[in-house]
Amino acid sequence: MKLSRRTVLKSIAATGAAATSPGVFAPAIAQAKPCRLGILAPRTGIAASPGISGLRATEWAVERFNAGGGIAGRKIELVIEEETSPKDTIERFQKLVQQDKVDCVLGIISTGVALALGPVVEESRALTIFWDGTTQDGVEEKLPNARYLFKSTDNECEAVMSSLLAIKHWKGQFKRIAGINPDYSYGRNNMAAFIALLKRFNIEHEVVTEQWPKVGTMELTSNVAALKAAKPDLIFSSLLFADLPVFMKQAAAAELTKGIKLVFPAAGFQHTLMKKDFTPEGMLFGHNTLYFDNPNATPMAKEFVAWYADKQKDYPNWEADRAYFALASYKAAVEAAAKAKGSAWPSNDDVIDAMVGLSVESLGGKGSWRKDHIADQTFVQGFSTHNNKYDFVTLDPARIETMYSADLQKPAGANFWEWLKTAQFKI
Amino acid sequence: MSAFGNILLGGIFHAAVLFLVAAGLQLVFGVQKIVNLACGSFYALGAYFGITFVTLALKAGMPQWTLLPLLLVAGAVMAVVGPPIERILRTVYDRDESFQLLLTFAMVLMFQDIIRFLWGANPTSLDNVQLVYGKIVAGDFIVPVYNLLVIAAAIGAAALIGLFLQRTNYGRLLRATAENRTMAEALGVNVRGIYAAVFTLGTLLGTVGGALVVPTAAASLDMAVEVVIEAFAVVVIGGLGSMAGALAGSLLVGLIRAGSLVFYPEFEILAIYLIVIGVLLLKPSGLFGKPAA
Repeated sequence: MKLSRRTVLKSIAATGAAATSPGVFAPAIAQAKPCRLGILAPRTGIAASPGISGLRATEWAVERFNAGGGIAGRKIELVIEEETSPKDTIERFQKLVQQDKVDCVLGIISTGVALALGPVVEESRALTIFWDGTTQDGVEEKLPNARYLFKSTDNECEAVMSSLLAIKHWKGQFKRIAGINPDYSYGRNNMAAFIALLKRFNIEHEVVTEQWPKVGTMELTSNVAALKAAKPDLIFSSLLFADLPVFMKQAAAAELTKGIKLVFPAAGFQHTLMKKDFTPEGMLFGHNTLYFDNPNATPMAKEFVAWYADKQKDYPNWEADRAYFALASYKAAVEAAAKAKGSAWPSNDDVIDAMVGLSVESLGGKGSWRKDHIADQTFVQGFSTHNNKYDFVTLDPARIETMYSADLQKPAGANFWEWLKTAQFKI
Repeated sequence: MSAFGNILLGGIFHAAVLFLVAAGLQLVFGVQKIVNLACGSFYALGAYFGITFVTLALKAGMPQWTLLPLLLVAGAVMAVVGPPIERILRTVYDRDESFQLLLTFAMVLMFQDIIRFLWGANPTSLDNVQLVYGKIVAGDFIVPVYNLLVIAAAIGAAALIGLFLQRTNYGRLLRATAENRTMAEALGVNVRGIYAAVFTLGTLLGTVGGALVVPTAAASLDMAVEVVIEAFAVVVIGGLGSMAGALAGSLLVGLIRAGSLVFYPEFEILAIYLIVIGVLLLKPSGLFGKPAA
């Protein structure tokens, strides 16, 4: 950077101001330029809805952080790229790192993309924080010693929580169980986790049918008929895309949902589409790491939801929390590392070291980072109710359950299925 | 018994929608000898436009019972895309089949972007209107009347197409053109007009199919490709170019899918393609198709 009399004077003035304002970061010479953050998120396709939710939360956070001085004195500037196929997303990631020279990359929802991108992140030595992507093939960690990459909580957290809640509240009230889950590792592992936990807690059960519609299947009449024919007492489903409200509509029309227990750990992904007309009360309904109408939410979360409702005419799902958590974690780590270095902008290594063990208040509650660079976050589930001002179901305020993912995901290096057999669950 | 009824009707409902799309595909191939991959796009356009049209009409005060007629009108209106597409296809009528496939596949991709531009990338659906006509309940046997109306509409469409092709002068001209285009042209048949009419009718079947399915499902960008894949299974089973084949193939695919979901859900897709392979091995022209000369 070329130094001029003006920039030097500006820096001296800024340093002086910082010295008299504790807690406010001084813009050092290198900090005059904005902090560029690369975002990789889907804005089209089946994951567009969560992608857009995450992008809106990012924009809200950037506005808020910039109003407070940015990150360690540098204003945030976003460079947004699309998350699509693994190959194309890797190319865009490289463009962000090499051409746009971003300070950090955030985003990624699909674990399929995340698995392919993980090794590229490590090779590029570019600090990257995934919103919702893991580097697990199924439940097996493929990048256990990541240095530059920080990953989301395990995908099975919500299924483990729902299973524990179903056992806690409905033990002895069901025997015949059925499943309708998306036909990829997420759906398969969630259903398997539910069955494994039933076995673990000695719950007598019989799997009467397991339906595996392809992701995005929109005509589920025959699946509903098959479920009805199996006469289940309980249906477990981790449908979470646009096929979920379609299924609920068809299930309600066929009276499949009448009088049986419903366990839907990921229903919160489509919460505003789960209309009262066809979504029953009393179903176990997962909102993952953000429940927009949580009576126990922090003032910041309430402010965010109000902003979202006002500006977007919508209510956020958990991807908004994941995006906020990633950005707030980066900001907190940079500022902690900068403080340790006497306000100089820290290196990537300093930021990475500061991230480990860091705890941040996110929109959905507390979140923190484990030594193996996997997030721990607060999960919210509960029982659906029609008693609200919306045209869709929310959670019965008296029956909201909150769990921290430290109790829901396997520890570093553990085998998921073995961990399910031995973990000490708090139910 | 009631469970069997639910499964049977689920399969027939799926078959009804599939028949409309496959019938359009068959009609166009039968007369114009074009394998029209874009039939899936017409299905998607019908679905998206059906949602918009019904939403606006209901907001404008139309009573809810008009749902089915509104969807039929929406499908019919959307068939206006047929003639301009047919005009583009004229450039490949005399070219190799691979050109025709490439062009119609390009149209699938183009329509996907057009839909994204007009309706956005997120799947969209109608409010819960499927039960506007009520449902029939007999013990455990429960079926929305709307599903029965869609099945009836597909049967009606099959009957009308049959009557049109067999009993009307235009239908005879159409069949003559399908048999021998050069001879028909030499005898004074307006082949260009027939091609435009047939393609528009094929488009109409697809758009109406898409419009009729939306109260029970949702419209999404991927629906065009998904339905084309299934429609091709129908066509291979029934025989390329045969309307009776489209009907039989749709029923087989719908019922096999419904049955496998009950008895062995893992076989949902495999079961259909095992039948396809069986037909290709035992009767390559399909159940109702004419063997290649």
